[in-house]
Amino acid sequence: MKRGLTVFAVALAFAGALGFAGAASAQTTLNVVTAGDQNMVDYVNNYLAPKFEAMNPGVKVRAVGTGPGDAGSQKIYEKLAAQEKAGSNAWDVDVAVIHQLASATMVKEKLLMPYRHDVSVGKLVSRDDAKNALGANVDGYVLPMFHSQIVFAYNPDLVKNPPRSFAELAEWVKKNPKQFGYNGVKGGMSGVGFVTGWVSAYSGLADKLENGPYDPSTVPAIDKALTGLKDFNQYVTMTPGNAGTLDMLNRGEIAMGPVWVDMFYTWQADGRMSPKIKLVLPSPGLPGQPMYYVIPAKAAHAALAKKFIELAESPEVQADGIIKQFNWYPGIDPQYVQPKLDQAAWNKLFTDVSPQDLAKYGRPFPLSPYFKDIVEGYERVVIK
Amino acid sequence: MTTTSLAVGSPSARSLLRGRGAALLLIAPALGVVGLFFVAPLAMSAVVAFRGKEGGFTLEHFAKAFDFYTTDLVFTLAIVLVATLLIGLVAIAIAGYLTLGGHPRTVALLRWLYRWPLFIPFVVAGQLMRTFLAKNGMLNHVLIGSGLIEPISAQSLLDWRGIVVAFVWKQAPFVTLLLAGAMAAVESQHIEAARNLGAKRLRVLVDIVLPQVRGTLLVGLVLSFVTMLSVLSVPLMINPNSPTMVTVDVAYRISTFADYAVANALCLLSLALAAIGAVFYLRHAVARAEGAS
Amino acid sequence: MATLDAPAAIGLRTWSLPSPLATLFRALVLALLAFAIFGPLLNLLLWAFAERWYFPSKLPLEYGLTYWHRVFQPRGNALASLGTSVWIAVLTVIVSLAVAVPAGYALARLRLPFRGAILLAFLLPQAVPNLPVYVNIAQVFYQIGLNGTILGVVLVHASHGLVLAVWIASAAFASVDVSLEEASRNLGASAWTCFRTVTLPLAVPGLIASAIFVFLESLDEFTGTYFVGVPDVTTLPLLMFNATMGGNYQISSITALLLLVPSIGFMLVVERFLKSDVLAMVGR
Repeated sequence: MKRGLTVFAVALAFAGALGFAGAASAQTTLNVVTAGDQNMVDYVNNYLAPKFEAMNPGVKVRAVGTGPGDAGSQKIYEKLAAQEKAGSNAWDVDVAVIHQLASATMVKEKLLMPYRHDVSVGKLVSRDDAKNALGANVDGYVLPMFHSQIVFAYNPDLVKNPPRSFAELAEWVKKNPKQFGYNGVKGGMSGVGFVTGWVSAYSGLADKLENGPYDPSTVPAIDKALTGLKDFNQYVTMTPGNAGTLDMLNRGEIAMGPVWVDMFYTWQADGRMSPKIKLVLPSPGLPGQPMYYVIPAKAAHAALAKKFIELAESPEVQADGIIKQFNWYPGIDPQYVQPKLDQAAWNKLFTDVSPQDLAKYGRPFPLSPYFKDIVEGYERVVIK
Repeated sequence: MTTTSLAVGSPSARSLLRGRGAALLLIAPALGVVGLFFVAPLAMSAVVAFRGKEGGFTLEHFAKAFDFYTTDLVFTLAIVLVATLLIGLVAIAIAGYLTLGGHPRTVALLRWLYRWPLFIPFVVAGQLMRTFLAKNGMLNHVLIGSGLIEPISAQSLLDWRGIVVAFVWKQAPFVTLLLAGAMAAVESQHIEAARNLGAKRLRVLVDIVLPQVRGTLLVGLVLSFVTMLSVLSVPLMINPNSPTMVTVDVAYRISTFADYAVANALCLLSLALAAIGAVFYLRHAVARAEGAS
Repeated sequence: MATLDAPAAIGLRTWSLPSPLATLFRALVLALLAFAIFGPLLNLLLWAFAERWYFPSKLPLEYGLTYWHRVFQPRGNALASLGTSVWIAVLTVIVSLAVAVPAGYALARLRLPFRGAILLAFLLPQAVPNLPVYVNIAQVFYQIGLNGTILGVVLVHASHGLVLAVWIASAAFASVDVSLEEASRNLGASAWTCFRTVTLPLAVPGLIASAIFVFLESLDEFTGTYFVGVPDVTTLPLLMFNATMGGNYQISSITALLLLVPSIGFMLVVERFLKSDVLAMVGR
């Protein structure tokens, strides 16, 4: 009995030591918290962090992911809001990567620090979405990390003539039931983007949804478009999320579905997606979005954070990291990035979706109040 | 069984009181934890679910919960009931064979085999089933390969059926374990007497053994029922889209909208679903525990 | 009373199916059960060692250890998560046992006032779905700053593990033969000495079983950690979940294997400690 107890105590101590070793910390730690799928965490962990640590000895970069979709950004917002309410002076997030919707809320509640004009790379962005996040003014508080686009991915063996518009898609699913899949509004923005794209296409209010002004009386029109989506859903397969759609496409369980371009190419590079699958961007368009680098107002290591963003937004890193390795469209203006890449790598970005298509059919998400109406409307009208 | 009080030999009132005081002292920390971490949050749940924006009593959160999630509530009950039923059947079958089985090697093999899922957490079970039950998962490959179904009719089980499968897979061994232990305690004289009279083993199981282990069976099933109502990982991984379990909707409302009010309303509704089984379990278990002391 | 043949002998006599058919039937049922149990686990192993696997191939196209490298790389989160998980589990066991052992003893041996109500209090957590509890604890922790901390997660795990530990401890103490204790008291031992030298050592197997159960429950816990720990505290189940949702089946399978090792290891150990009378008392 005594021996049993001793063995047990030793085992417990060993387990504790193992645990403690794992939880041990290092020197100065830069906390980078990112919303989005695993590829975001991988990008910071496997690409940016080693570079930054090499440039700044004594600094360790800690990457934490909060999950895909606006829910992930919501968690970051909650963290910052809690620390603000508690009155703490050194917050535990130094750099955050968030979606547009959350950035608007955070700027409004003064949770972020303006920094764009303090970093040299701030001059390399001129796109509208560096200043405007779904209708809210965020000028100076954000820098786009990358731009991504939702497109339809399809298996050319099973889909000989892919539909090139929403109307064609609606016809196609009736003839090919359950072959199209998307994730609804839960589990990832690719599904949400499909829903807003549908509403934009069928409500005829695309311009108003994207540029405003916000008019609550559009809700019936949105609901009407969503009723059509409810009908459409009978012929489709629901997937568990961004990755779910890609996964089912890979396994041949669906033949077509909305995906993020960057996730798609990453999966192909990883051997998780057949190289045969192709992309198409339908008319009148599908949304794309940037994700933003932001610095919390009371970040513990603000100066280091700015250095980190300088590195991340430099043309070299944008070319090699963002485009080449992780298959995103650049966050800063393309003309600064293109010279750093060879022509082949640049063209690869546009294999199936040309820059002209992108210009014509790549849209932003609707303004945040409309966005909320659409997402809630989906639950109210489509799911029930 | 005699109750030993702390003061053996001198049943004076003071020592009895000291004994009871000491007993309370020993149990107070545990009670404190339960009070703080169970009763208080449950009470808070009730408060938040009924509190309106200005602080008054309101039913609007419940109205919204029913408006959006009636399908899911019904499905949750259906999924958990079906799973509980299947768990009961599987547990009775396996435990019955372990107790009454005639082939010692089979019994030994079965006893070794059935326990494996017991120590696999729900979250891993969800992950296992996600790749196993998919349209191009291993199950379908094996069924097609052995010629049992046509490739064209292969179905993805990643809907409510997958959730049921994952639950049964994970919980049946637990109930079987409880049941086997209880069946082993059934006096063999009863079994042998019945067998001597020529009863087939199935008859013995149904007429002799089951009635005696009825209590344990119900305890195990109710525990499983309540546990399954609370699981988030399995439905989230297998099928988060409606119709799904209410736990997914609770997580969605909180993580996307920070809507604690409707989330708590949903929680109270699932509590109501568990209530019937819970009341039965509590009455039965308190009686047993008091009877055993 | 005449000695009866073993039921097996009787069984063979009244069994109606011919022997070879019965054997075939038994073998078939066992095989199906084995497939049902080990099939998913085999699938897990395949994914853990797959490098390239896409439709329409039934088996991985390429096998390899690339993903193992990725999981165990110094910057990888898996080792850190494993450490966090184990550390939290150890702390949970300590907290739970410290509170459960006295409570279990009191329940098993001592006279308690309001016994019915106390029993109810300890049965309640098992009879009630946990989700409302976790959700509201998370909200309170968020307001007092315990959200996303190890302490917060340990408290949540311990509050759940405690209940199980109290029941198992109570059953363990109850299964100790009372006459041994009475004998020791009759010989003049004080209550504490009796507990220390007679009751506790005899109850240790049951207590170790409860410690193991609490450890495993904490290691595998997902829902509470999902609400309270995210995003700073990443336990192994959370990591596995994120990998699955991200479609990273190789990584999630490898982390699942990591999770299974202590579970299955303990299963093989705890068989010895799980006497059926201890187990039969659990939940009664």
